[in-house]
Amino acid sequence: MPEDPRPIDAFELGLIQGRARWIGDLTEFFRDYRIGDTTFALYAKGRTRNSGFLISRFFSWTVLPNYAIALFCVDEGEGSLGIETLRNRVDVVTRISKDEDLQWAWLILFSRKNIQPSIVSFVSRYDKRELGLAVASTTVKQIVLSNNQIGKSIEKHLRLSRALGEEKSGKTD
Amino acid sequence: MVSYSMPFVLLSALTINILLQANGLSGTSYRLFFLSAAFPIGFSIGRAIYLRWSHIQIAFDSMSFSVIKGSKEITNGLWRSYRNVSIILDRYGKPNLRLYKSIDGEYVDIPISKTNAKPQEFRDFVQRLLSTQRSQRISPQAVEAV
Repeated sequence: MPEDPRPIDAFELGLIQGRARWIGDLTEFFRDYRIGDTTFALYAKGRTRNSGFLISRFFSWTVLPNYAIALFCVDEGEGSLGIETLRNRVDVVTRISKDEDLQWAWLILFSRKNIQPSIVSFVSRYDKRELGLAVASTTVKQIVLSNNQIGKSIEKHLRLSRALGEEKSGKTD
Repeated sequence: MVSYSMPFVLLSALTINILLQANGLSGTSYRLFFLSAAFPIGFSIGRAIYLRWSHIQIAFDSMSFSVIKGSKEITNGLWRSYRNVSIILDRYGKPNLRLYKSIDGEYVDIPISKTNAKPQEFRDFVQRLLSTQRSQRISPQAVEAV
């Protein structure tokens, strides 16, 4: 029997197949990409204006703004994910967003441990509009999303729960 | 390959039909038999043109790679010349491989979407090759003084 793909591989495959197209056009995908001291298991770059063909291309060129966007995933593995680590990750991505002039970014953290209540509280109360935040436990299939539009789109458009192998989303808003 | 062949299938059928009419065989029962020859003739011509001009081949080993389009080599290089690899989607959303000499620097694209390679698996394979070459470059070789 073929082995189940790792959640991060399944998530990337969905993005390569254009799962993010309703919200942005992610066109380049790096794995194990190191920026400073942080290694991102997945780093995807793109823009808000999608390429398309004829009518959709014309529509996007005339209507949509052409902002740079990015998606960052960190695989925390078996290590415990604490508030301090999470804050560090958020700071790193916020700094990269400023340096790269990103309009918005997604930050998704995968962990093989249960998500601590303090993390749930931090993420679900996070509401800065330029960073969508999500923490996913790959063992208990729990997803916590930040309380902003970009954060909610991680489930609505990017379908993170499908990458975890869930039929129905077990997200905690 | 089908898109290369179909115009030649049509052309062959037209030519056969003209020949049949010129020889007064258009009304005979052999007509269908002769016309069916248009498919192998058209596909053979289409295949030959496709292989000559558009067929993509990626040849690689643990040291180097080369991309051959038709009968011409369009890119080649050594893995150790590159630092980073990514999957890049072209304007039709097809995934190809991009090799960077430096971060955000000079790059070369490998059109894996034109082959049957799985993009994620091939990217991971290339990434392993690049990191192996990099670690070999970094770790100094022990030389024994005589």
